[in-house]
Amino acid sequence: MTARVANRRIRLLIALFAAVFAVALLRAGWLQAVRAQALGNMATSQHRETIEVPPHRGTIYDRLGVELAVGSRATTVYANPRQIRDPRAAAMAVEQTLGLNADKVYALLADRSRGFVYIERQADSGLAQALQDKHIQGLGFYDEERRDYPQKRIGASVLGYAGVDNKGLAGLELELDKTLTGTQGEKTIVKDPFGRTLQVVDSKPGSDGKNVYLTLDHSIQGQVERVLAETRERWMAKSASAIVMDPRTGGILAMANDPGYDSNKFSQVPQDRQRNRAVTDTYEPGSTFKIVTISGALESGIVTPSTKFTLPYEIQVADRKIHDAEPRGTQTMTTDQILSRSSNVGVVTIAQEVGEAGINDWIHRFGFGRPTGIDYPGESKGIVLPPEKWSGSTIGNVPIGQGIAVTPVQMIAAYGAIANRGVMIEPHLVERIGNGEAPQPVRRRVVTTKTADEVRHMLREVVEEGSGTAAQVPGYRIAGKTGTAAKPDGTGGYSTSAYVASFVGFVPAKHPRLVILVTVDEPRGAIWGGVVAAPAFAQIANFALQYLEIPPD
Amino acid sequence: MIVAALLAGIVALNVAVLRLNMRVDQLDNQRDELVTKRENIQSQLSATAAAGRIEELATKALHLGVPASTTYLELKHRRP
Repeated sequence: MTARVANRRIRLLIALFAAVFAVALLRAGWLQAVRAQALGNMATSQHRETIEVPPHRGTIYDRLGVELAVGSRATTVYANPRQIRDPRAAAMAVEQTLGLNADKVYALLADRSRGFVYIERQADSGLAQALQDKHIQGLGFYDEERRDYPQKRIGASVLGYAGVDNKGLAGLELELDKTLTGTQGEKTIVKDPFGRTLQVVDSKPGSDGKNVYLTLDHSIQGQVERVLAETRERWMAKSASAIVMDPRTGGILAMANDPGYDSNKFSQVPQDRQRNRAVTDTYEPGSTFKIVTISGALESGIVTPSTKFTLPYEIQVADRKIHDAEPRGTQTMTTDQILSRSSNVGVVTIAQEVGEAGINDWIHRFGFGRPTGIDYPGESKGIVLPPEKWSGSTIGNVPIGQGIAVTPVQMIAAYGAIANRGVMIEPHLVERIGNGEAPQPVRRRVVTTKTADEVRHMLREVVEEGSGTAAQVPGYRIAGKTGTAAKPDGTGGYSTSAYVASFVGFVPAKHPRLVILVTVDEPRGAIWGGVVAAPAFAQIANFALQYLEIPPD
Repeated sequence: MIVAALLAGIVALNVAVLRLNMRVDQLDNQRDELVTKRENIQSQLSATAAAGRIEELATKALHLGVPASTTYLELKHRRP
């Protein structure tokens, strides 16, 4: 080979290397100049991530600090069916760890038309970890907060519930949702290829939800629910409700409805059973409503406790005949006796003295016809006939608690006013929020102390000698009133078989610490408030007095 | 030499910071796990201490009776 040929080959090789180098240089320049932004963004997206830091939902406590609703960490399990290699094996693994039905899970995992399916929302973290440890491709896990109700049935209709998204859907969980839900935080991290955090670039702090302290006492609540369940079973009733309130503060110590439900299983319970009937439902109160007319007449000076009336068994009011519950001859009764013996004729006679306008005024002064303002959603204002719609016979109905519909919470607020020496205090369930001070409830004088004391004395006689003797608690003086009201039959008249039996009273009679109301809807076997509801009152009062160590007067 | 040493120092510092960040992240995760455990225990404690559960155990398992009544004694203050 001549030197000329060798030189030519060397120059060719150098040119080739130079060309390759030039291409590489151009490529590098293109990547670093033209594609720099796009590639930089790709790299950032791979090693930077913005994570949402969900807030912890506030806990709901009873008045003693016992948890009624608490958040606990759970793990949601999901799957991408397109990445599941062996759906049957994966379904079996899910059944073994999470306890779900393998066939149902297999149906989800085998559906490759979907890229995301939930296997179980808010599963137990320990069980989910066991599944995660099996490293099944296609299964994913993330932490969520689950709302637990450790007391299960206790206070269920009051607490309500939060759904799978940790949002309040009913009851106090709904009413206080903004307070209980905090604000979400955020942090941007730089992570390595293994997902480990190398640096926190930016963070926006969130805040957890506030804790709420209720006036409810879980022990009294549990006892009330037990008594209601026994009462409903004993009298084969449709439902029963009860409220226990401290008349000095308006704080509700217990608010129960039966049948109840387990808050942890709210999705399996019909909506009808979830209602807090004590606040949302109305009933015709019957004789328990008589304190409105009597209090109004005393306060207006129209009667005194010893004013005498000559009362026949039956009187005519417009087109209606009003009579007492028990047949009797014409008798003379004082105002005192009219209430303690629950004389319909006596109350209507006094009501006629007060007048339609006066009765209507007193109905509203005792808070009927409008919400009490209790901190619970969906409160009913009841049904009160406006004065312009009163007929001639209305004065014969309403004063004895028919032709008017009230809620249990309205009724207990009214009796609370009598118990609290004439001052009505707005009933409430929330004692305080977080470490804040307890708000002062609204107070309003309804009648004078003198009138309240006089009515209280009359109500004592109901329990000591009248229709409410079954409400007695040994060692204590109790003041209260029975109620037995026929339910409307839907055709403008009243049923002869469906009644609401009730008893509302307070104890100790001289310095009341508890006001208790019990209503029983459609009892069978007996319909009288004194027979059906009064014994339940006595059981609840007996427990609460001992539990709270309230001595007799 | 000095520049090389300074560069090595900067690298070492950055590595130390990265290690600390990873440790902080681990501790964050541990804290979250402990918070989870504490919440779960709190929830179990509430359920265990539920008045209804205790009453049921007392009456059905231990055969204890519910007191029928309470008697109050009022003691008069006696002067010494």
